[in-house]
Amino acid sequence: MSETETVRPTLDPMTLRVLGGAFGAIAKEMAQVIFRTAFFQIIREAEDLGAGLYTHDGQEIAESETTAMHCGSIGAYLRGIVEVWGGDIEDGDVFLHNDPLHGASHIADVCIAVPIFWEGRLIAWAADTAHLADLGAASAGLCTDAFDYFADGRNYRALKIETGGQRNQELVRHIFDNVRTPDVNRGDIEALYTASQLGARRFGALLDKYGADVVMAAAHAWMDHCEQLLRREIEKVPDGDYEAPVQWMDDDARNRDHPLNINVKVVKRGSDVTIDLTGSHPEVETAVNAPLEGSTKIAAYFIVRTIFLDQATHAAYIPNNEGMFRPVHVEAPEGSLFNPRFPRATYARFCACQIAADSVLLALADALPQQVCAGTGAEVHVIAFSGIAPGSRAYWVYVQVNESSWGGRYGKDGMDSIGCLMENIRNNPIEEEELSFPVRVERYELRDEGPAPGRWRGGLGVIRATRSLGEGWVTSEAERQFDPPKGLFGGHNGRTAKTEVRRADGSVLELPSKFTSFKLMPGDVIEFRTACGGGYGDPLERDPEAVARDARDKLVTVEGARADYGVVLDPRTLALDREATDRARAAARQPTVTPSGSTP
Amino acid sequence: MRRLGVDVGGTFTDLLIVDEDAGTVSVEKVATTADPADGVLAGTMRVIEAAGLRPDDVDDFLHGTTIATNIVLERDGARGGLITTEGFRDILHTARHRRPLTFSIYQEVPWQDHPLIPRELRLTVPERVTAPDGAIERPLDEQATRAAARQLAARDVEAVAVCFLFSFLNAEHEQRVRAILEEELPGVYVFLRSDVAPRYREYEAFSTTALCAYVGPKTNRYIERLSQALQSAGVRAELRVMTSAGGVATAAGATRQPANLLMSGPVAGLIGGLWAARLSGFEDVITLDVGGTSADIGVAPGGELRLKHLLDTQIAGYHAMIPMAELDTIGAGGGSLASVDEAGMFHVGPQSAGAEPGPACYQRGGDRPTVTDAMLVVGKLRPESFLAGAMSVDPALAERALREHVCEPLGVDLTEAAASTVGVITHSMIQAIELNSVQKGYDPREFTLVALGGAGGLFAADIALEMGIPRVLVPPNPGITSALGLLATDTLYEHSTTEMAPLDELDWDRVRDQFARLDERGREQLRRDGVADDAIELRHFADCRYANQGYELMVAAPDLAVGAQAWAEQLAEGFHVAHERQYSRRFDGAVHLVNLRTLAVGRRPPLRWPELPAGDGDPGRALRHEQDVVFVVDGRREAHSTRFYERAALRAGDDVPGPAVIEQFDSTTVVSPGMGARVDPRGNLILEAR
Repeated sequence: MSETETVRPTLDPMTLRVLGGAFGAIAKEMAQVIFRTAFFQIIREAEDLGAGLYTHDGQEIAESETTAMHCGSIGAYLRGIVEVWGGDIEDGDVFLHNDPLHGASHIADVCIAVPIFWEGRLIAWAADTAHLADLGAASAGLCTDAFDYFADGRNYRALKIETGGQRNQELVRHIFDNVRTPDVNRGDIEALYTASQLGARRFGALLDKYGADVVMAAAHAWMDHCEQLLRREIEKVPDGDYEAPVQWMDDDARNRDHPLNINVKVVKRGSDVTIDLTGSHPEVETAVNAPLEGSTKIAAYFIVRTIFLDQATHAAYIPNNEGMFRPVHVEAPEGSLFNPRFPRATYARFCACQIAADSVLLALADALPQQVCAGTGAEVHVIAFSGIAPGSRAYWVYVQVNESSWGGRYGKDGMDSIGCLMENIRNNPIEEEELSFPVRVERYELRDEGPAPGRWRGGLGVIRATRSLGEGWVTSEAERQFDPPKGLFGGHNGRTAKTEVRRADGSVLELPSKFTSFKLMPGDVIEFRTACGGGYGDPLERDPEAVARDARDKLVTVEGARADYGVVLDPRTLALDREATDRARAAARQPTVTPSGSTP
Repeated sequence: MRRLGVDVGGTFTDLLIVDEDAGTVSVEKVATTADPADGVLAGTMRVIEAAGLRPDDVDDFLHGTTIATNIVLERDGARGGLITTEGFRDILHTARHRRPLTFSIYQEVPWQDHPLIPRELRLTVPERVTAPDGAIERPLDEQATRAAARQLAARDVEAVAVCFLFSFLNAEHEQRVRAILEEELPGVYVFLRSDVAPRYREYEAFSTTALCAYVGPKTNRYIERLSQALQSAGVRAELRVMTSAGGVATAAGATRQPANLLMSGPVAGLIGGLWAARLSGFEDVITLDVGGTSADIGVAPGGELRLKHLLDTQIAGYHAMIPMAELDTIGAGGGSLASVDEAGMFHVGPQSAGAEPGPACYQRGGDRPTVTDAMLVVGKLRPESFLAGAMSVDPALAERALREHVCEPLGVDLTEAAASTVGVITHSMIQAIELNSVQKGYDPREFTLVALGGAGGLFAADIALEMGIPRVLVPPNPGITSALGLLATDTLYEHSTTEMAPLDELDWDRVRDQFARLDERGREQLRRDGVADDAIELRHFADCRYANQGYELMVAAPDLAVGAQAWAEQLAEGFHVAHERQYSRRFDGAVHLVNLRTLAVGRRPPLRWPELPAGDGDPGRALRHEQDVVFVVDGRREAHSTRFYERAALRAGDDVPGPAVIEQFDSTTVVSPGMGARVDPRGNLILEAR
């Protein structure tokens, strides 16, 4: 199974179990150190970071199971470092790395990696990544329309910031001299550094106690174990090519009215799955391309594991490690959106990966109707507010994350405004935001325009309106203003996202989902509405009590209940009229019009 | 003084009277009843009688209750309403937008699937207070408030949470809403965010206030009913209840902030363990309380409870920003199941056989092997160990379950299966202890491990040997340490407020005013509880962080008398040290103040505990049995002939060489090879490497 199949000591079940627990505990402790000591609010409040232990060649031993996009990609970063340095890696070196041409997920996710040696031999890595506030790119905080690799931000290609335990102070100063938020970046790099060193120390203690042979044998045994678990689940699905409906990104962030197609086919053979992205849009001259190694593949790993080994329905402790990646393969032609070539930019690659993952769900819906959900928001509204502090003339950057929602599920409604697919980051408290930045939040609540009808309705996105108190800029990285989340099995499509600016003078401006450095004046309000997930199953099958509850919750109107669900409610009391509902539903089921959807 | 402690657990209600004048201790255990008040009352009468006292002889009545916790776990709370700022109806529903599980589509989201307050009862009114100074941007719309109040009244809510943004900076609007609610919904419980959680981070604060509304009505009715029943039965001592911070509150104090009772259960055990260790002169303590399904682990350097960070205090997925003692609960106990998954990996816990069917050897239909079954097979437990032989167990069933579910799939023999089961669960506990000691900067080699609960003593010796902990202490009645802990606590209230500023730019007058205000609230509350002024202690703490960090650490604040500059400098240094201990590094950045806290302590007279009579040093009189027991020594399994002693027959000064097993009615202590146990004058068993 693994390529490094060598003779390994046999392990007793107890030692194996104990070491497995220890690996996971180290990765989680590393992540904790980062988010509790970091400076940038996206790291400390939102926990947009990953940490873990890896073999010398970048196979994942254990991860912190924080943001999936981070954890899964660290192996690729490490392979990138080895690519750059070959055998010239010594005990006492510390690497800083963010180059998407060498395995990085994108330029903003910066990695600190500490090599671990045993008897003079590189045996493992402790490494972590986190999303930094600013990378000195063409715009502050985020960058959606960067023309190329150089406009994307400052590149740290496997830099040794320490050699033999000595910090290269000039290099470090150069790094912080070239970003807009040097103090914040410095705090975050130190947090990553502290955690990686700690992870290396803890792993070293295990090596001292058990010996490298036993520890590494346990590491490989756990990878093999997870691989086996995943393969067993994949095998249960009949072999075949499962194709998703084409989905669309709104645009490339510069050329409006030109949506980008995403084509996904899931090719399943035996216990292997290939996510084939052939046919998807070619690479573009903005920053929405997804690097193959550090982003596209991670999306595939994430969604396959989530569908086949859902943590909620598999009771046993199943850690995430390299074994989860081995049965999963990606096919993406060079020069396409999902495998861009030099010198294309990749800063804003996240939503493309999200939509591809969403398409995998849709592709497998007929094969695994009780393991997938209807179309998800498959986006996240990441918004960078920035400005210049009066007096000091220093930049401030604040990144706001607005979650979309999930599609309806077999037996359950979709999750409302909560970390979607690969993104699972916390929001920033309003009370933190307003204490720290010149903004005022005017509205922050669920979209009450109505969920996507279905037997199990889609989840609701969120509305967040923010007033700018000073002069500043806003950059938005988002999707789904054009192509809504898909309904499944007769469920309706979800609701598209929306962005508007209400000027202090009363004028209203609609904006696309992605834009860069839009100027805000004092009193301007910018409002985002994130996408609502698709419905699952025929709305006429929905429990009428659930429709009545949604009406009492002011999410569904009396008219909507009647039109979409065939549910009759008393317009005054919202009480359910069962008899009238039965009649209305019977009438709605009359085949006067041929239903366009298929029946399961 | 005669002090009575009652601790209600899931299965048993434990009662303990310490009669300090007579030098006696009386213990009772009764079954927990459907309405726990019935069991408490019945047990109270029994233990009073057993102690040869009358109800009005009891001077102190202390109660540990899981009522609030159970309301949340069973999702059986009150119908509550919320009044909140317009535009922010769904803060309780969107929470921090983070789903509980990373890799899952079919997960449950507790705050969405089972909201504390459903959307239809979350109403908004126009108002807005702003940062940083609490200025009112939009005045409260009183008409809208009255309309909302009437709407809630029409829906028969039992409690209302009032949660406005930034009310911790200015509580005027919330207080006005309370006045209106009192007019429109007389008799309905009202909880203000500015009272319950006057700190920043709106979701956590709103959730805490909603939890008060959720558990308040039932909890308060329970406390009122119990107080009355005790009074009618002739108990004159005032009822006091345990809080999650590790102190007691009067009934009145508890009902004002019912969320503070959440998760208070295990804290009493920790305090009981600290107290028992202190009797024998040990201050740095790790407690390990192991029962049937879970193990509670507490680390208390210097004998001081540490409080959890306010972002880490949750119950069943709901955030509760309440002072909560640092305690870690893991799914590891006697009932933890051993299994081998479909891909051949061996697991022990966190799944448990629970009370029903329980371990296979209990003969109640359980056919899957548990840790208790494995203990029976390795010989650390014997059929006579269970409730002093009053309970019948069948070792053959334990063997059969292990053979079928562990030996066969793994291809190992019975001894290895049993020893590995014990080994894996022991390591789960070691890992949890490391998480709370080594990973927080404390060296376990400087601590005493206090074994509590029915099963703590089964594991403690091996854990101590593995981690280099120099000694294990087992109190006289490890099974009722929670009831004991109740008797050893002080009255405690915490008051806090958010006060953000860089330490080198402090508004000194404001800091002093804030502390004076917090102190006054604490002092007033203690006086209302009848605490004399000379027993009142006010301790100051400050939550600090480096500029730009988002995660504060709580540190003891210097005396205000040192003056502005020294105060700020000493506090900064205290923070640097705490940061380095916790995260292994200190930075040179500026330190910011975030919250100020006053812990108001009403000192209660120290509990006097009778001494155990001395013996002749020879434990021979307590020897009951001898058999082979399988131990793991230096990584190898070895069978040792092992003596079994009866704890009740041991006397002070007795010395028991290992390997040995010491049995008592509801718990068992293993003395591993290479260790010995002595009985100290306080009745504590002290195990040390020899």
